[in-house]
Amino acid sequence: MGFSNHLKESIYYHYSPSHKYSVGVESLKNKYYRTNLSYLRLTYLLKRINTKDSQVNVYFQSGIRFDKFHDNFFGLRGDWETRRWYVDFNYKELETNNLTYTHQDYQVGFAPYLGEYGDLHTWVMLKTRTNSLTKKWSAYPVIKFFKGNLLFESGYSRDNEWDIHLMYRF
Amino acid sequence: MSGIYILCIGFKEVFVRKLFTIGLSVIAPIMSLYAEVEEEHDHLNHIHKESIDGDKFDVDTRRFNEFINGLSDMKVAVVSVNGMVCDFCARGIEKTFKRNSEVFKVDVDLGRGKVLIAFSQGTIIDFEYISRKILENGQTATKLAVLEIR
Repeated sequence: MGFSNHLKESIYYHYSPSHKYSVGVESLKNKYYRTNLSYLRLTYLLKRINTKDSQVNVYFQSGIRFDKFHDNFFGLRGDWETRRWYVDFNYKELETNNLTYTHQDYQVGFAPYLGEYGDLHTWVMLKTRTNSLTKKWSAYPVIKFFKGNLLFESGYSRDNEWDIHLMYRF
Repeated sequence: MSGIYILCIGFKEVFVRKLFTIGLSVIAPIMSLYAEVEEEHDHLNHIHKESIDGDKFDVDTRRFNEFINGLSDMKVAVVSVNGMVCDFCARGIEKTFKRNSEVFKVDVDLGRGKVLIAFSQGTIIDFEYISRKILENGQTATKLAVLEIR
């Protein structure tokens, strides 16, 4: 998984031994502090509700820096989705360079058409986020495409510039 | 007294008959509407097949015919799955079953929440195995029907 925005550029490799959890390594370039670092990450599925037309997920997420154990993060992430609608939240508490802050983002979206299995799928979303350092909220449009095992997501705001997210499922 | 009693029965009969007439006039159009809907249910877009254990199930005809095209002497498992709302998430189901050497083909119908799996004829397909494999990917199997393709 590759990710790039105004704060970081990162590559995240993770492995899921079961649907309940995944472990991985995230190597990132922190653009704010101008440092390169790596996190050992753990994501754990706390709750999943499957219905005929929807799925709800709540995850615990965490990461710890390899070389500085006091640099870490943990939080909750959740989503609700149908084939047409999507809503998610993400809340993290981070400790970096002796600074503790929180990050939160929320996203709502819809699929303009319902593709079949194997088609190109498209989601149009609106994302909003803030952190306790700047205390400023920003909102921006995001578009997500996926086909087969490849997912591409991109958003743009004048404040935060580009958000680019690329994922391949092996 | 008996005259009043007969009069009451007469009123009752008239009342019941009127009630019956009104009821019928309300119910009849609804019933005919329902019958029309049933007639319009033309099975062009889906079929109700019967599995080898006698259960009925609902699949997309075009999709099912495409799936079984070229298959012979096989068993097709039709699995109803909850939580299969996204193509990207359902990819794992296909991968999981394709690891099994007795599986020839897998298809996912996101719209109906169905997974079609073609197994070799000799395979014993049980719901426990199927639901465990579906759960490994995070979804929930709710029903299984097995068809024989000759």
